[in-house]
Amino acid sequence: MIEITIHGRGGQGGVTLAKLIATAHFLKGQYAQAFGVYAAERSGAPLQAFVRIDSNEITIHNQVKTPDHLIVLDRTLIGPGVLVGHKPEGWILLNTSDAPASFATLFPGRRVAVVDATGIAVEHKLGTRAVPIVNTTLLGAVGRMMDLSREEVEKAITTLKFGGANLNAARAAFDAVQSVTLPGQAELKAAAPPAGRITGLLDPDVGGPPKIRTGNWATRQPHRRRLQAPCAHACPAGNDIPGFVAAVSEGDHDEALRILLETTPLPGVCGRVCPAPCMDACNRSEFDEPVQVRELERFAAEKGARPTPTLPSREERIAIVGSGPAGLSCAYQLGRLGYRVSVFEAGDAPGGLLRTGIPDYRLPREILDAEIDYIQRHGVDFHCERFVDRSGLLEMSRTFSAVFVAAGLQELRGLDLGAGGDAVIQGIDFLDRVQEGSITCEGQRVVVVGGGNTAVDSARSALRLGASDVRILYRRTRAEAPAIREEIEEGLDEGVCLMELVLPKRVQPQETGCALTCVRMMLGEPDATGRRSPVPMTGADAEFVVDCDLIVLALGQSADLSILPEGAEVSNDGELLGLTGAPVVLGGDLATNEGTVAHAIGNGRRAALHVHRTLTGEDLFPPESEPVASPEFIHTHLFHHAPAQHAPLVPPGERRRSFVEVREGFASAEPSAPATLEAKRCFSCGMCTECDRCVEYCPEGILLHRHDGDYEFNYDYCKGCGVCASQCPRGVVYMTEL
Amino acid sequence: MPRELITGNGAAGHVLAQAGEANREGRGCCCGAYPITPQTEIIEYLRGVEFTKGRVVPVESEHSAMAVCIGASLGGARSFTASSANGLAYMTENVFAAGYFRLPIVMIAVNRTLGPPWNIWADQGDSLALRDAAWLQFYVESHQELVDTILLAFRVAEDSGVLLPAMVCMDGFIVSHTQMVVDLPEQAQVDAFLPKCVVPHRLNVERPATVGGLAWPRETEHMRHEIQQAMQRAPAVLEAALDEFEGIFGRRPHGAISVEHAEDAETFIVATNTMARTVRNVIEQRRAQGEAIGLVSPKLFRPFPRDEIRAALAGAKRIAVLDRNHSPGSGGVFWQEIATTLQGHSATMLQDYVVGLGGGDVTPEVVNRIIDDLYRRESAIEPIWEEVTA
Repeated sequence: MIEITIHGRGGQGGVTLAKLIATAHFLKGQYAQAFGVYAAERSGAPLQAFVRIDSNEITIHNQVKTPDHLIVLDRTLIGPGVLVGHKPEGWILLNTSDAPASFATLFPGRRVAVVDATGIAVEHKLGTRAVPIVNTTLLGAVGRMMDLSREEVEKAITTLKFGGANLNAARAAFDAVQSVTLPGQAELKAAAPPAGRITGLLDPDVGGPPKIRTGNWATRQPHRRRLQAPCAHACPAGNDIPGFVAAVSEGDHDEALRILLETTPLPGVCGRVCPAPCMDACNRSEFDEPVQVRELERFAAEKGARPTPTLPSREERIAIVGSGPAGLSCAYQLGRLGYRVSVFEAGDAPGGLLRTGIPDYRLPREILDAEIDYIQRHGVDFHCERFVDRSGLLEMSRTFSAVFVAAGLQELRGLDLGAGGDAVIQGIDFLDRVQEGSITCEGQRVVVVGGGNTAVDSARSALRLGASDVRILYRRTRAEAPAIREEIEEGLDEGVCLMELVLPKRVQPQETGCALTCVRMMLGEPDATGRRSPVPMTGADAEFVVDCDLIVLALGQSADLSILPEGAEVSNDGELLGLTGAPVVLGGDLATNEGTVAHAIGNGRRAALHVHRTLTGEDLFPPESEPVASPEFIHTHLFHHAPAQHAPLVPPGERRRSFVEVREGFASAEPSAPATLEAKRCFSCGMCTECDRCVEYCPEGILLHRHDGDYEFNYDYCKGCGVCASQCPRGVVYMTEL
Repeated sequence: MPRELITGNGAAGHVLAQAGEANREGRGCCCGAYPITPQTEIIEYLRGVEFTKGRVVPVESEHSAMAVCIGASLGGARSFTASSANGLAYMTENVFAAGYFRLPIVMIAVNRTLGPPWNIWADQGDSLALRDAAWLQFYVESHQELVDTILLAFRVAEDSGVLLPAMVCMDGFIVSHTQMVVDLPEQAQVDAFLPKCVVPHRLNVERPATVGGLAWPRETEHMRHEIQQAMQRAPAVLEAALDEFEGIFGRRPHGAISVEHAEDAETFIVATNTMARTVRNVIEQRRAQGEAIGLVSPKLFRPFPRDEIRAALAGAKRIAVLDRNHSPGSGGVFWQEIATTLQGHSATMLQDYVVGLGGGDVTPEVVNRIIDDLYRRESAIEPIWEEVTA
């Protein structure tokens, strides 16, 4: 009978190696026995497996104490300990890349065989360098040592249903194993008597548990990181969305507002009119519904107390041309930094398009006025009815320390419809007059041309002004329309009609009103923006006539660059080059045409930081962001499904005839009310919420949540099981291989 | 018959599945399943079997596992399960229920030390703690014996003269987790050996009845007596089953006990499970040196085969009983049973050796020490604790 002892660590496949050796011999008609020593084995704990081979039935069931041969799977276990009981005439097979001669002191007089099973296994992609699976490889070497044929080795492997790379690795080891009988005298090493005394149940003096640095067994290690939430990454204003939402979820509305006011002075505005790219990016969208960030921003603006504004503390005076969102944002940030700011606005009140281009039912005047007032209290003067032209700008660059030009898009795109007269009006002008209260649509049939927010706002305003019929004509389909989806939906609910794939061609005045000839469109090849181009259809039914009384054009805007000096060039930071005098920075839609309030706010803030850095050298730009927590970082199965809380809308029937605000917002700040519940739906992607799941699930209790809020891993005892990482819902805890 | 290199658990799962499948023309089979070391692979194997007519029902505890078996057996299905140690303890109430209901359920008890302290290794205390539960109990020493005994257990349990559940006990890890060479039966052979399972008192809509309702002392006493009478019929049924087994499988397993090397022996060792194998090896070594020592290994523990044991030990002057179990306050259980069996034979010295409690490796050295002590001894004393120093 042959007896073999295999030394390995838990998880390395030592018992399977025993089974492979047993199988190889069983298939040749031998009797075989294979088993492991089962103990408190864990990944990494040293343990043994045994094999017996005999031509007669095996009737011994004890552990092998005097093996003929030894196999050491793990090179860290190669030591004098393995020799206990080993018969001097047998061989020792080591998984090592060292030459046999290097073991002359450890195993004098013995036949030592070596093979780099780890190298071969990794080469054949059996496991990784940190956790290689060497058993099938070693079977090749063992087979050679036991005079098995290659076929017998392969048959054992395939019988146990290991295929492919395992066979190749075994073959490689079969060829690579070398053995040498080392010089010296081989002796049988007796077992040492068991150490320590046996303790009883009531024994008070048992001492502590053995100090085994089980961390030494680890092949992976956990760490913590911070990732950027996709909502924050997507926010053009750079708002700390997870931060403010967390504050709302905790009922700390003041903190929520304070966080928002770091990056935007207009949370009440954006909480009503922002298209919310954050919600499109929200990782919760795929799980159930995105967190209603827009609604929560409005809620925070309503419930939180604003910090007391700082007064000017610096000598420098900054001029800002245009009081739209970019100008307002820049003024606010500079005011907070202590500068004296003067804002010059061509219109009769500050706000730009916020005031003239967005009707009351979307953005009540009081909200806008209150937020502008707060900006003003930071030492910002507003000078209205002050149009600034090129020479005015040059003058400013001589009298102010810096100038920020955010005059917006003053050019309105037109459409040649032939004779139209008073029946044709630009949407921007229409909305301005709606705001003034100087226009009515009572009884009129109104047609609005375009697909953006101005078009939808014009249409819904026309309804409220008494129009008998309101249609939007858009040359593409609803799916391509750039207006905010919810705005379109609300307009349709109110009774606006959307005619897709229609382009007006010419207008002819009638006895009453006009006849507008339109052509049907179809979508052709994509254009430069990737949207499919609308192409007029041909044929008898392609044209049709719409009778109407008012045609509102909302076809988009472009920049009027006449304010800038001839041939002006602009740097990457938006600064006008080639000027002497104070730095002049361009921003907002005038510079970038990004088209949303949030983009303008972000742009204005960055311009303020740029001006500050230019004037003082101090760089207050936020540091590089961490990687974004894309969906695969989030363990969604650890969250419960919960539909979004939606703030109520005034019913369409009620709201279509008045300019009262359509969206009512979350009303209550109670912990069980919709606003708080909605804020609690936030996954907090990539940002630790101190939920302590990692601490609770750690089987070894090696995670400490310190009083200062940080977490500490005790790597002396961390076995790298990875449970903490798998239980972190938001991708903060992750594993690295050692 | 396929010969395979397989673990005890693998073999047990294989044969249980075949036994269940053999009842596909009857009321099918059922297993209430809950895992525990060192039995888990049996349950894992059964969960993967696609029975023609049968279900493996995973439940939340061993108590429920036996409840499922009871329910299924009362429905006429061939029912089986497996457990160990504290799992058997958790199951206890329903183990008694299965016995007192006289349902022919077969359970594999993979012997493991009852905790505390927490201990996973082989010790017979778990199944022996249930010796009063009206179950047949078999103790097997090898993988082959395990396979054969499982089939015999179904056969005897389901016999109309017996109708009692049966426990087949094997050493945890030493058999359950060790690969050995075994001859496994073929399905056709199992079909031939096991007739359709018939539970005469099963619930039947054609004859509505309640089982397990209140009974007066008079009826209860009578039912308990019926159980003892059923137990007494079991050995004869086992003998008849062995004849049939030999006819189908071509080998004859040991019956209620095995008696070996008894010729001219005055010294006897009584041992069960894998310890019996170690004892056999030592006895054979010592025989080669001229010593005559006999081995008696009870395979059937309930009912305790008193007549056979009495006959086997008739010529013994000194007997060592190896108990890998202990009833605190008394001694090893096999010793107690043998002592009762030999009552009146005061000439025989009967010495209990409690050895391998908690799963220690009972090596030939330990057995030799025991034999040497037995030789030196003039009279028996209280049970000797032969501590395994490994």
